[in-house]
Amino acid sequence: MKCEQIREKSADYLAGELDEKSLSEVRAHLADCPACREELESLSAIWTKLGVLPKEQPSGSLRIRFYEMLEAYKKGTEKDRDKISLGQTLSYWFGRLMPRRPAYQIALSLILIAAGLGGGFLLSVRSRSAARTEVTGLRGEVDDMRRIVAVSLLKQASPSERLMGVSWSARIDRPGDEIIQTLLETLNRDPNVNVRLAAVDALYLFYDHPEVKAGLIHSLAGQTSPLVQLSLINLLVEIRERRAVEALERLIQDEKLNPKVKKRAELGLTQLS
Amino acid sequence: MKTIIRLAGIMILLWAAGLADNAQESQADHAVVSFSNPAKPGTVEVDISEGSITVRGYEGKDVVIDARWRERVLTKEEQEQEAALAEGGEELDQEELARKKAQAEKAKGMKTIEVESMGLTIEEEENVIQVNAEEGKRAVDVVIQVPFSTSLRLSCRDDERGVTVDRVDGEIEVETSDGPIVLTNVSGPVVADSSDGEIKAVFGKVVPGKPMSFSTMEGDVDITLPFDVKASLKMKTDEGKIFTDFDVQLKPSQQKKEEDERKEGGGYRVSFEKVTLGLINGGGVEIQITTYEGNVYIRKAK
Repeated sequence: MKCEQIREKSADYLAGELDEKSLSEVRAHLADCPACREELESLSAIWTKLGVLPKEQPSGSLRIRFYEMLEAYKKGTEKDRDKISLGQTLSYWFGRLMPRRPAYQIALSLILIAAGLGGGFLLSVRSRSAARTEVTGLRGEVDDMRRIVAVSLLKQASPSERLMGVSWSARIDRPGDEIIQTLLETLNRDPNVNVRLAAVDALYLFYDHPEVKAGLIHSLAGQTSPLVQLSLINLLVEIRERRAVEALERLIQDEKLNPKVKKRAELGLTQLS
Repeated sequence: MKTIIRLAGIMILLWAAGLADNAQESQADHAVVSFSNPAKPGTVEVDISEGSITVRGYEGKDVVIDARWRERVLTKEEQEQEAALAEGGEELDQEELARKKAQAEKAKGMKTIEVESMGLTIEEEENVIQVNAEEGKRAVDVVIQVPFSTSLRLSCRDDERGVTVDRVDGEIEVETSDGPIVLTNVSGPVVADSSDGEIKAVFGKVVPGKPMSFSTMEGDVDITLPFDVKASLKMKTDEGKIFTDFDVQLKPSQQKKEEDERKEGGGYRVSFEKVTLGLINGGGVEIQITTYEGNVYIRKAK
């Protein structure tokens, strides 16, 4: 698929409107084309800011609702025609309610103006908070999009694409269990040292997620690359993870451990206790 | 279609005494392999446990593989002994020296018949050509010519010669344990890792978008980039230094996201590792470099 076609579909993509086939095509293209990814990122960012990303999809129910509204409107105008006389009676009654003295008239209008302003203010506050929930929702959608891209990139054969997957997952605000699990799996299983190193950095960003700390400690025992070991030790010391003490002590016992890693682990132990 | 070409180890004749010095490179295997879909860029994977890999881009459609088997791989101790022997044998154990001399004397004028089966296994499947050396005592030096756009996945352990790549525009993944990684006239993305070796990469141009990463425990990382490259560098080194002749715009080394600062208990990340973030020409391709002892050199191509 060409970039132009992708860009035509990007709105549908963001709205989750694409069918399976085009969705996978778009994803495949996004994994390969940095320009489109950037475009999509900035598009979703702009939408987030304006708050115009359609929260509801133009689904079948919308169509029904539209016709319902149209019908109601038509009926409404018909009724209005019948109600003219009623309106006239109402205005007569309102007229009778109006105070006769001009001073009272002015006072009443001031009260009405104040009430109008107050009401308007209240309404605007309410709509602002509604906008805020809207923005939160949109952020969630951007997160979802990043999650989809990150997870699909992390499954690629190319280490460069997996690196990209790690950096996409690092941009997610609320990673959720799926991303944390995928990152931990990358840290433990990815055959490439560079990708594992990047996963350590990404997981650092989410260290207050309950599973991350335990996952990092657990991972220490299984790592073979001294660089990854060092990176993990640095991280665990950095977040003052006291539960790592035991894992570090066990690591130091390993006879095959790189002497530099051993030195750092020993230093880490003194820093943690 | 899966093609398997087995380059059987032909029995090799080695002159035990007279040719011992030249016996390091004794037997050459040669194979020409085509990609199943030559119109699309293919991938070449090489995995050898002992030996070296050299890959060169050339104007052809096939992959040309040459392998030279060394007599046998020498352990580090043996290499040291060889070196000592070459220097006059002063440091070599006298007994050991005498034993070697006696052995050579015994076999004088005779040939060694190598009975061990050895060879390369070459497989092609869905535009991926895999080259594997059978596990054994012998080390192999593999030289491969590939079309320029080929992607490479190279893995080479236990050798001082390492991996050399020249004029390949595809994606390159390399890993070595001891040997150096030397890449010239490449455009990336490159993801390279070495435990003890140096990593050197000279980029003719840099493909935008795809991230790169270089890591080595002991060695230096030496990268040459085009003068107009747009790159975002993330460099970590514990004991090494960073050198560059680019105007690198440094960013504060906090990796934290804004959101994190609001979290309770967050915000004490000051010195996780010595992370240096820098932008070249406003930033672009993500390049991550991790070393422990080695220095980092970011050079501007002249």
